[in-house]
Amino acid sequence: MSIQIRNVTKTFGSFRALDDVSADIPTGELVALLGPSGSGKTTLLRLIAGLEDLDPGRGSIRYYEEDITGTPVRKRRVGFVFQHYALFRHMTVFENVAFGLRVLPRGARPTKAAIRDRVLELLRLVQLDGLAGRYPAQLSGGQRQRVALARALAVEPRVLLLDEPFGALDAKVRTELRQWIRKLHDELHITSVFVTHDQDEAMEIADQVVVMNGGRVEQIGSPAEVYHSPRTEFVMNFLGQVNTFTGRAVGRDIEFADLRVAASDGRLRDGEVRVFVRPHEFELRGRANGQPCAAATVLRIHAAGSVARLDLQLADGKLITAEVPQDRFAALAASTGDLVYVAPRRVHVF
Amino acid sequence: MAGSASMSVAVGARAAPPATRDAPAVRWTLTAIALAFLALFLVLPLVVVFAEAFREGIGAYLASFDDPDALAAISLTLLTAAVAVPLNVAFGICAAWAITKFKFPGRPLLVTLIDLPFAVSPVVAGLIFVLVFGLQGWLGPWLVARDIRVIFAVPGIVLATLFITFPFVARELIPLMEEQGTEEEQAAMTLGARGWTIFRRVTLPNIRWALLYGVILCNARAMGEFGAVSVVSGHIRGRTNTLPLHVEILYNEYSFVAAFATASLLAVLAIATLVLKSLVEYRIQRQVARASAGAAGREALP
Repeated sequence: MSIQIRNVTKTFGSFRALDDVSADIPTGELVALLGPSGSGKTTLLRLIAGLEDLDPGRGSIRYYEEDITGTPVRKRRVGFVFQHYALFRHMTVFENVAFGLRVLPRGARPTKAAIRDRVLELLRLVQLDGLAGRYPAQLSGGQRQRVALARALAVEPRVLLLDEPFGALDAKVRTELRQWIRKLHDELHITSVFVTHDQDEAMEIADQVVVMNGGRVEQIGSPAEVYHSPRTEFVMNFLGQVNTFTGRAVGRDIEFADLRVAASDGRLRDGEVRVFVRPHEFELRGRANGQPCAAATVLRIHAAGSVARLDLQLADGKLITAEVPQDRFAALAASTGDLVYVAPRRVHVF
Repeated sequence: MAGSASMSVAVGARAAPPATRDAPAVRWTLTAIALAFLALFLVLPLVVVFAEAFREGIGAYLASFDDPDALAAISLTLLTAAVAVPLNVAFGICAAWAITKFKFPGRPLLVTLIDLPFAVSPVVAGLIFVLVFGLQGWLGPWLVARDIRVIFAVPGIVLATLFITFPFVARELIPLMEEQGTEEEQAAMTLGARGWTIFRRVTLPNIRWALLYGVILCNARAMGEFGAVSVVSGHIRGRTNTLPLHVEILYNEYSFVAAFATASLLAVLAIATLVLKSLVEYRIQRQVARASAGAAGREALP
């Protein structure tokens, strides 16, 4: 484990930003801290960097087994990429990237020629060769982001920390840049943590996702794990669309909307529960075939896209959304106003 | 200041449509009134200063400076500025740095206190020093016992000038540093830089034009201050007279040529200040324009 976060608590005045947070960042992986604003994800990142101090005596942070709780930022050897890049506006791209090398103590400082070679190599790596003489104001957002990355990498950091790295970019540049960052990470294998509020972003490029809410960690796991086996209602709701019902638990079964199905985790329960079904976890049929299903009226069809999305209304008036693959939708041949039968393949109860 | 600069840039970039559809006669009348006012209250006094100074020819003009009292006033003024300006640059940077880069209890109070010299009448400022350091003042007996003269001596003049010019540098820096935030410093910190390195290589270059602007204004006021200095100086000829005080004395003694000749020095200082100020403003404006051009280009570039 390159970073171990243990029982970390951080308060700002009376506001508790982080509440007993523990997490491990495995060496060489790209980890996303995912959560809505105010969930404490940026605070956690800044604590890892040392830009904020832990509440005294409340938890510890270790880098490669070394406790760095009291170590000042400049000694931690972290690469930090700020949301708005924080490039030195009065320095050229070259000088920005060279900064971390130039401020090294005299004994450790490379020669001028070595600094030059290293900076040019980094600029090639981030595909900015030829722009070394520009000022930050003369660059596009994506280019600035890459300068910030090169600058952070120049000091050969033990961990790379990125605060909302794609937040300030427009949609197209954003998708390109995140695939590029994933590729870069696969080349460099530097342990990296990035903060994001966009679940698609986390799902697409992270090896591990730390889902946070209200200053606590909700779940840690691979993108597939947190998506398919959410452990809390919050994770269920936050990662993608979901239909919510009120139902009753009877043993391992759940009763809701005239249906009785087994809960996905197979635990014994009793009493009133909230039931979650993802749109793609509904099976749609043209007619009832004896298996448990509920009748629903088709209100709207969105057929454009990789899957067909249907807005349906159950007999009791409840509105739900279902997604079926295009070929299944073609076989179903349903149109607005038709009656279809829905059967959930998986239901989640917490 | 940076805000107003960026605004004028924005206005200049577009060809501004006329604000009103008034008849040319109305427009010309309004412009004429404004120009006449300007000529009467700003240009005329300046012309009068030089006209009176040279009334008896260049010889008489130069002769006014061939007087030990005048030379003493000039050197005292230069000395005062030479002490007050560097000290206030140091204080101003410290105050602005503390106020904008850190959160601490009493911060709003400090911000308010910086403006105190602007809020209080210079005469009152002078009186405060007399009350503190004067013979009858709090520290008076203590100072007398040690034979240290503050009031009616050079230290009092320097102190009063320091007080009056304190806000200039800090007031220029605070809004700019507030706007620039602390992210660049934090970035430098993560890259391994120490406090002093961060200040020298990141903070200072970012504020240098605003700092120079503050220094120019601070210097102009330090050399031109009358009220506070007048109270603490005691008007001892050749010893505690600064240029503005010297002008007053000469004028009261009906030595008009000498008075205006000395005043012309202050006028030249004022003009030089305005020119420098415009140059610095131009540089700041260009900096802002470059930054906003970059920001506009960001959307266009891939």
